[in-house]
Amino acid sequence: MYPFDAIVYLQRDDHYKRSDLEQRAQIDAMSINDTKDKVLKIPDRSDYLRDQRRSGQEIMGVLPALYPRELLWAFNILPAEIWDPPGEILLANVHLQASICPIVKRGLEFILKSPEIINSGYLFPHTCDSLQNLGTQVKDLIGVPVPVYTFYNPKGEFNKASKRYYSEILFNLQKTLEKSHGLLSQNQLKAACELGHKIDIRRQMLHAALMEDRFDLSNREYFQLIRAAEYMQGQDYLDLLNHVEINEQIGVAPRARLLVTGILPPGDDILNFLDESRVRIVSEDLLSGSRRIPIVEMDQPDDPMEYLVERFFLLPPCSTKAGGLDKRLQYLKKLIAKSRCHGVLFNTVKFCEPELFDQHFLIKSMKVMGLPVLNLETELQPGLSGQEKTRIEAFLEMLDEGVPV
Amino acid sequence: MADLFFGGIDVGSLSTEAVIINSEEQVLAEVVLITGVNGSEAAQKALNQALELAELAQSQIAALTSTGYGRASVPFATGKTTEISCHGVGAHHLFPSTGTVIDVGGQDSKVIQIDDRGHMLDFSMNDKCAAGTGRFLEVMADRLELELDELSNPAYITGPSTPISSTCTVFAESEVISLLAKDTPREQIVNGLQRSIVNRIWSMVVSIGIHGEVTITGGVAKNQGLIKVLEEKLGQKLNVPKNPQTVGALGAALIAKRHHSDSTST
Repeated sequence: MYPFDAIVYLQRDDHYKRSDLEQRAQIDAMSINDTKDKVLKIPDRSDYLRDQRRSGQEIMGVLPALYPRELLWAFNILPAEIWDPPGEILLANVHLQASICPIVKRGLEFILKSPEIINSGYLFPHTCDSLQNLGTQVKDLIGVPVPVYTFYNPKGEFNKASKRYYSEILFNLQKTLEKSHGLLSQNQLKAACELGHKIDIRRQMLHAALMEDRFDLSNREYFQLIRAAEYMQGQDYLDLLNHVEINEQIGVAPRARLLVTGILPPGDDILNFLDESRVRIVSEDLLSGSRRIPIVEMDQPDDPMEYLVERFFLLPPCSTKAGGLDKRLQYLKKLIAKSRCHGVLFNTVKFCEPELFDQHFLIKSMKVMGLPVLNLETELQPGLSGQEKTRIEAFLEMLDEGVPV
Repeated sequence: MADLFFGGIDVGSLSTEAVIINSEEQVLAEVVLITGVNGSEAAQKALNQALELAELAQSQIAALTSTGYGRASVPFATGKTTEISCHGVGAHHLFPSTGTVIDVGGQDSKVIQIDDRGHMLDFSMNDKCAAGTGRFLEVMADRLELELDELSNPAYITGPSTPISSTCTVFAESEVISLLAKDTPREQIVNGLQRSIVNRIWSMVVSIGIHGEVTITGGVAKNQGLIKVLEEKLGQKLNVPKNPQTVGALGAALIAKRHHSDSTST
């Protein structure tokens, strides 16, 4: 069965205000046309952060995932997000159970090595129980030479009380940072929010272009670009995003179109393999990616604090916010319909409880829709094992039978 | 016009199989060898033996598909396809009403759902540990000082069984050692081990669901005791091919024939 037969009933309301976005794309294209070249130069994470540190920049280590980046920028703090630092996990295993996810383990391993690059502290958002506990562990039991901050996002169905609560924790974080960084002016915060707003709009535009095959970037390049947000200065990142060319023409049809969902994109070797196999990831629902971009284009920030509160509640449904499975499924169905994907890749971080709670229902629902699903479990190790390769190839062979020519 | 011949080579982790068919899709030769350390050599050796049985020369093979974990190391293959697709196609060829294929191989096991043309609709795969695979049985047979064939004796599953709680091969082996130390009868332990494997397979079957007739492939399908326990658990009879080990290679040969037809008709 062609997968979309089952979802024609979906509302066709546009995810983004497309006409606005396209207009902006044209303006952006005109303004940066002269400086564009075909090769996208994405700075290496370590090199970039080292350069920033050498220039005297304050850098805060931020654990995944949802935090007010604009507030940190306003204090002239560069957030360096810690998702999956490479290397062997040794020290962290002393403190953590075997069944803790590799993001938490790798995060702690990184912290225990007391990297000099982090000089402004660590921020632990409440993404899941493991990360919340890690914040407590690092602060109260392990101890690090820099301050440790926690930021407990609201969970569950959102209402007025959630907004009030979120305003309070934002305000508290601001007051805490003011103790070490001086008073924050409204203008500084507003400027940071305006920058964030521009980045959000550009990211929405790029995701829309991805769904419409109007990119020349490979799968690997696309996710390198998305993940550069984890360590680059806001303005540098915006410049990089503006450098990406969005084609007017739709590209060559790939062998298969996939939507990827999960916490992080697949590793580079898997992305390369998909590129070699002429498979295109045409949409993503990743916590490290589009789940951190509002689902609609927001108005220009007027009151920056109000803007930040509003922004948080306009982020897409996410397992880590525990906001209801049905909403998440409906959101995914919209992405599936808009991206015209042939199958869904669940890139599952081993032992990631929030994702695993949702996954069974989502996979079952997609199979009922007739949409093929591949679930790849990862411990965030590099490489592509023979088993992974077989699973992906078998999935593609399955799609080959069903992909309409 | 001269008859056309097609080959399929399945380079598995423990064994390598070769099948040669003619244009009528009749099997002319099938060979099973131990893979050893060099998959490429094993593939060539298996093909040579199959060619000898079929009284053919390699140049007479119009197309050959390689499959299995070593599918990329078969230089003379004209195409490669995963063993998951190949087992689906092979099982459908032997038992056309098959909707579900259970393949229990040497190092992994899989459940494949296929449509009425033999095309894969969904699959589930255990490739992370040896639980529920041929290797699990080999380790346990060795520990119990039994030949693999002896585990197949249905007599071992008629009496009482001792539950084996660990699905992990290493821990299950420790459990077997403890049971032997307590003089637990070997028959009871074997019975418990068969049920342990079946439970592991069953959990994969449930994740995909049973559709139509169920066909079991892979070397473990030769274990009569296990088949009986699995049939009890699934509540239906299983299709068991005469040579369950060569179903993947047969599927590969059939795919080679299809690809050849496609390429010559365009």
